Amino acid sequence: MKVLSPDGEKLDLFTVNIGPSHPATHGALRSFVALDGEEIIASVGEIGYLHRGFEKMVERGTFNQVLPYTDRLNYCSAIMNNVGFCKAAESMFEAEIPERATTLRVLLCELTRVIDHLVCVAAAMNDCGAQTAYFYFYNPREVVYAIWEKLSGARLTNSFSRIGGLYRDTYEGFEDDVKNAIAECEHGLLEGLSMIEHNRIFIDRTRDVGKISAEQALTWGWTGPCLRASGVNRDLRKDEPYFGYETYDFETVIGTTGDTYDRLICRVYESLESLKICRQALARLKPGPVNSDDPRLRLPPHEATYHDMEALIANFKLVYEGIRPPAGEHFDSIEAVNGELGFFIVSDGSGKPYKIKVRPPCLTQYAAFHEVIEGGMISDAIISLSSINIIAGELDR
Amino acid sequence: MSHDQIQNLGPWAEAAVPASLSDRKEAQNRLFPILAEKFGATLDPLDRWGLTAVVAKERLRETIFFLRDDPQWSFEVLVDITAVDYLQWPGHEGARFAVVYNLRSQSHVAHRMRVKVWADEEDLDVPSIHDIWKIANWQERETWDQYGIRFVGHPNLKRLLNHHEFVGHPLRKDYPAQRRQKLSMNDPMVDQLEARLRTLGYQLLDSVPESSPMVEDVLKGGR
Repeated sequence: MKVLSPDGEKLDLFTVNIGPSHPATHGALRSFVALDGEEIIASVGEIGYLHRGFEKMVERGTFNQVLPYTDRLNYCSAIMNNVGFCKAAESMFEAEIPERATTLRVLLCELTRVIDHLVCVAAAMNDCGAQTAYFYFYNPREVVYAIWEKLSGARLTNSFSRIGGLYRDTYEGFEDDVKNAIAECEHGLLEGLSMIEHNRIFIDRTRDVGKISAEQALTWGWTGPCLRASGVNRDLRKDEPYFGYETYDFETVIGTTGDTYDRLICRVYESLESLKICRQALARLKPGPVNSDDPRLRLPPHEATYHDMEALIANFKLVYEGIRPPAGEHFDSIEAVNGELGFFIVSDGSGKPYKIKVRPPCLTQYAAFHEVIEGGMISDAIISLSSINIIAGELDR
Repeated sequence: MSHDQIQNLGPWAEAAVPASLSDRKEAQNRLFPILAEKFGATLDPLDRWGLTAVVAKERLRETIFFLRDDPQWSFEVLVDITAVDYLQWPGHEGARFAVVYNLRSQSHVAHRMRVKVWADEEDLDVPSIHDIWKIANWQERETWDQYGIRFVGHPNLKRLLNHHEFVGHPLRKDYPAQRRQKLSMNDPMVDQLEARLRTLGYQLLDSVPESSPMVEDVLKGGR
């Protein structure tokens, strides 16, 4: 492709497809780029290879049947998606959930945040050839996945939250397992961090690579750690506190330049802050119910259905019709791993959602990907892609 | 990090004052009369938890400009754009579709609202806001893809999630979930890359026909 550059230079650009099916594209993302030598002059992106019609499918089931679908949005942090959807639905009922359930949700969400960041940073290490750091970051996740298995029976697609509470209470020995997991994750994070934070090779690979300014990030609608890496001190856990996050002691981690280095290091420090929250939540965990007794949301106790007519009717209605939020339109969001994960729920008052639109944090980041990589090398594009942590399940839905 | 260091980091480095639900309600109650007076906005009764202002299509862009640029409100973030198809809504009258713009402020974290415009089946044109926020480009493409809303003035209104050969708009209520379509050709995307090069100030002297050589050409040793 022959072009005349803005300074009047005649260039012969070479066009090449990066992806869709390549291990470095983290799913199936396609970037079509024009190269001058190894430098990316222009890039356009295509998504949708994993589009499974989340929004169409959820219209066919009840509200609780949406939960397994939310697992498959960001499959690295399934519990957080479950909790995000449940919170949106609960706020339509303006329902209170018991303290043990909120504390457990905070604890599980923060552990999820840690393992998701671990996957992201580890994959970035892998993509820039740092295999040793990769293992230090990647391995501690196993301890957390073992807890998930004991809690919900599944490693990745946990479906652990329910509208009005949780699937069930924890098992015996849960606290010890979490303490162990916190220690393992902290060890992995600190060891990995010591390998990369002042590492000359890593800094040369990532400093000033894929820079995005705060203004650019805002016009592209960025949220979460990628936005904070550009120096914007915004975090929904602090700004619009939910689940009592305002009562936990933790810091928001922000970067200065918004380059790949900032984005990756911010994630590591943010994980360490999350572990702080986990410890506090664990100390607060008191015995109690994990499900709301609101008859609009949760089934009555099984024994009651044998003796109490009302309980039997409630059981029947909830099983056959599902929960029925008041008719209307509502948007609610949480600070998920990659940013603001929102659910726009339209209910016509029946047991089936009329429409649910996910606001995935990844979409805004990936929409700006061409601005991140233009002017850099192909290898910079790969590490930039890892640092913005695109999860195709949530990008394509 | 000490406070002095944070001062040097940039305009956004200061933490926000946390917002409660009552702060948001209060701000919304102040904002709505202004929108009603300036742009003839009406309250959407369906949003009983927050503020959704319904404006006429013709006044959408000026409303959005006001909301983004007025320092008292400064809705700097476009959270999402989507549409709702009211075809099967019980007792619904009027336009079939509504396009919903979800806004949030970064300066005043308590500020959140939605703007809604109606689009009838006969007239699916809605003004594009891709120049107000860059992210609107993809969000409008997705809304076009899923609902068939035409955003007038959009530079590249292509499907985003579905295949480019796909026929119909799957999130419409009359699109059957089980319908299957055969889709085979990949999207060369050459036109998009050329448009991007032009945006960056490059002048094109020739054109490549497709993005990747066909398998047959490679096997025959061509190109």
